[in-house]
Amino acid sequence: MKKVSSADVMGKNRKALILAAVMVVLAIILMSLPAYEFGATLLTKRSGNTFVGDERYVKAMDEVNAAADEFRQQGFEVEISEQVTERVNSKGEKTSMVAFSVDSTTRYSAWDFLGAGLPSTKVLVLILVCIAGSLALAAAGARGAMDVQHYSLNGRARNLRNAACWLAFAALALVPVFAMVNTHTFSRQITLFAGGMGGEGTAELVERIGAFLYGDAVSGDLGDLLSGVTYRTTWSLWALIPVLFALLCGLIMLLKGELVSVLSRGAMYLFIIGMSILILYPFYVMFITGFRSNAETTDMYFLHMLPTQWIWSNMKDIIGRGVLRYLMNSIFLSVGATTIAMLCGIPAAYAMARMKFKGKNIFLGFVIMSQMFSPVVLLVGISQLMNTLKLNDSIIGLMLINAAFNQAFAIWLLRGTFLSISSEMEQAACIDGCNTVEALIRILLPMAAPGIVTTLIFVFINAWNEYTISTVLISTPANKPITVGITQFSSFNMIEWQYLFASALLATIPVVILFMCIEKHLAAGLTSGGVKG
Amino acid sequence: MDSILVRHKWEPYVWLLPSIVLMTTFVIFPIMIVFKLAFSEISKAGIVGGFVGLQNFIDAVKAPAFGPVMINTFIWVISVVGLSTLIGFIMAMVLNQDFHGRKIARSIVVFPWATSLVIQASIWNYIIKFEYGNLNNVLLNLGIIKEAINWRATYQIEFMWECGVGIFVTIPFVTFCVLSGLQSIDAAYYEAATVDGANFWQKLRNVTIPLVMPSLTVSTVLNIIYVFNSFPIIYTITKGAPANKTDTLITYLYMLAFYDQKKGPATALSVIGFTILCFVSGIYMMITMKKEDA
Repeated sequence: MKKVSSADVMGKNRKALILAAVMVVLAIILMSLPAYEFGATLLTKRSGNTFVGDERYVKAMDEVNAAADEFRQQGFEVEISEQVTERVNSKGEKTSMVAFSVDSTTRYSAWDFLGAGLPSTKVLVLILVCIAGSLALAAAGARGAMDVQHYSLNGRARNLRNAACWLAFAALALVPVFAMVNTHTFSRQITLFAGGMGGEGTAELVERIGAFLYGDAVSGDLGDLLSGVTYRTTWSLWALIPVLFALLCGLIMLLKGELVSVLSRGAMYLFIIGMSILILYPFYVMFITGFRSNAETTDMYFLHMLPTQWIWSNMKDIIGRGVLRYLMNSIFLSVGATTIAMLCGIPAAYAMARMKFKGKNIFLGFVIMSQMFSPVVLLVGISQLMNTLKLNDSIIGLMLINAAFNQAFAIWLLRGTFLSISSEMEQAACIDGCNTVEALIRILLPMAAPGIVTTLIFVFINAWNEYTISTVLISTPANKPITVGITQFSSFNMIEWQYLFASALLATIPVVILFMCIEKHLAAGLTSGGVKG
Repeated sequence: MDSILVRHKWEPYVWLLPSIVLMTTFVIFPIMIVFKLAFSEISKAGIVGGFVGLQNFIDAVKAPAFGPVMINTFIWVISVVGLSTLIGFIMAMVLNQDFHGRKIARSIVVFPWATSLVIQASIWNYIIKFEYGNLNNVLLNLGIIKEAINWRATYQIEFMWECGVGIFVTIPFVTFCVLSGLQSIDAAYYEAATVDGANFWQKLRNVTIPLVMPSLTVSTVLNIIYVFNSFPIIYTITKGAPANKTDTLITYLYMLAFYDQKKGPATALSVIGFTILCFVSGIYMMITMKKEDA
């Protein structure tokens, strides 16, 4: 490794510390700038049948001006605006209406929130603690070890610097939380309060919001007044994010001596977490909605993220409506289709990958072609065929069709897997007198296990997902697979969401569990397949 | 080529036989029936009459919905296949890295598969409801939005949601195809590239992509076909409403055949769709086979 002088290390660490300190100062400056701008109409006055400049107009304007002055004395920044609407009345005379409004604009910096006693106050305190703590810990971690390379730091210095990084990260992550909590307070709580839907504590909170925004200046119905409040977040709050990010970068420099690998790793984790949340989100929806009461599934006020009461009897209700039977049908159908598809597909893929014969490319083309037509397109043809074969309205018929339509896919994937495995061992075995069947079963299949399992999963899932053919072919309720069975809960004019999702949940859980088992097997198979020899 | 000894000339055909029988019976026969119907007169009751030449095709193409439906189909296939391949590839690259919780992340990725398309589509249909949908619920309660947003204000936006759901459910497929390709790559290639001083992008371009290409080819060809033929998402979320404006070819011809009882034009459309897919896949197949020979 290249020898780095301790003076270089010292300089680097000093720079990182200075960057962190400057960013903390910058953050404090930003927090002193206005973070939120509130606008509210304090007073409106309409004056009918007036024209700009006439007696009535002047009188109304005087009144408005007087009121505005009063507000100004109370410390509000107010603006008067007027809006003139002209029209012609039934007698053909021109009339107009003038509407005056006194609007206030108030700006609050982050510090103002500190004493407000709003929910976001706690978040703000946390942010401040995190920022101050990170700088303090970084300084403590740097003390006495400024000239030590990051990889030869002692445990204490490393731990302190590490903690500093995490605190800075927490501060960064809490800034959007601060904004979210404020949005929740100023929009959601006020909407609920005005609609009379607020839970315990809402009234108290609204009182506090009123006190925060207006002090004692405004009397009257707080709900009315506050629901007219508009607000926006200013740039200085969002500017905190890059500043705190720079702080984090400085502290990472102090801990690791470099940035790129840490940041790219962080970005990777963010990507994974983001995708996981996105993927799990529909499952969360299915889960909570399946246990909601009917009224709560169509709640216009969006009151609760979780069911207030977990209605377990939804499960009992759907079982009473035949869902278990549908599930059994689906399992039978998928297992059968997968078995048939693999029994036909593995030999075909083996021949395609390992043997030379005339018409190989024609067969390959045929395999692709057979996937061109979707079952939907072929429905008319399929139902005629099934009628002839006396397989309509039966699960066996569905099984065969699913197997057939997944053939091409299975062969493609298996052939790819077989081709990726060297044929040397099979060739050797063949020379030793092993026949092709033995070569396939003893040598190729164990080595191709990951690919086979992947194929198996795909076919199983496709059969499990199949919806369209079943809809048309199966008319007897007792033979319906679950995908068709659940549609009975969503009729044209009414959808029983809680039953739909409760049965969807039952349909999903077994497959998820199966997947988890196979996934382990898959990982093990893949690693063992990767080892040569 | 890696091929093994075969004792008899007819042996490969025996290996192929079960597959051929299965596909001929349940895929080829229905195709033949559909082709026959496309050129026949079919009454509303479904009684097949005589040969009518191209009359069914003329009826199908002249329908006012035909143009928009074809455009929708094009957007649907391109956006879903393109974006899901891109995102799935990135996901596979990430999942192939070593990180804490990799096993959990890998299990989570297969989750969308574990649910059938009808169920996924029903869930998303509920999520994006304006009046009581869960997306508004979550975003409002978390304080991310100020007031409920109408997520499906116009049919164009609804169609975009459908494409989004299509991408969402297709990603796991691509991810797993690419991942199994990535895992079969010998680590020695990367070691050699590292010794030669290759950076991340050079490794990606010169080692990873060429070696995953076979897996990616399979997944893309089949994706085009599956996505083109996809039915439940659009059928569940909008049913093609309003007035076939969000239909793709497949949902449109289902409606024609089973709601409007116009089986003639419907089978004609399916022949048209078949031709398009043959064309697309033919080009792709030629590229693939060329690469495999090289």
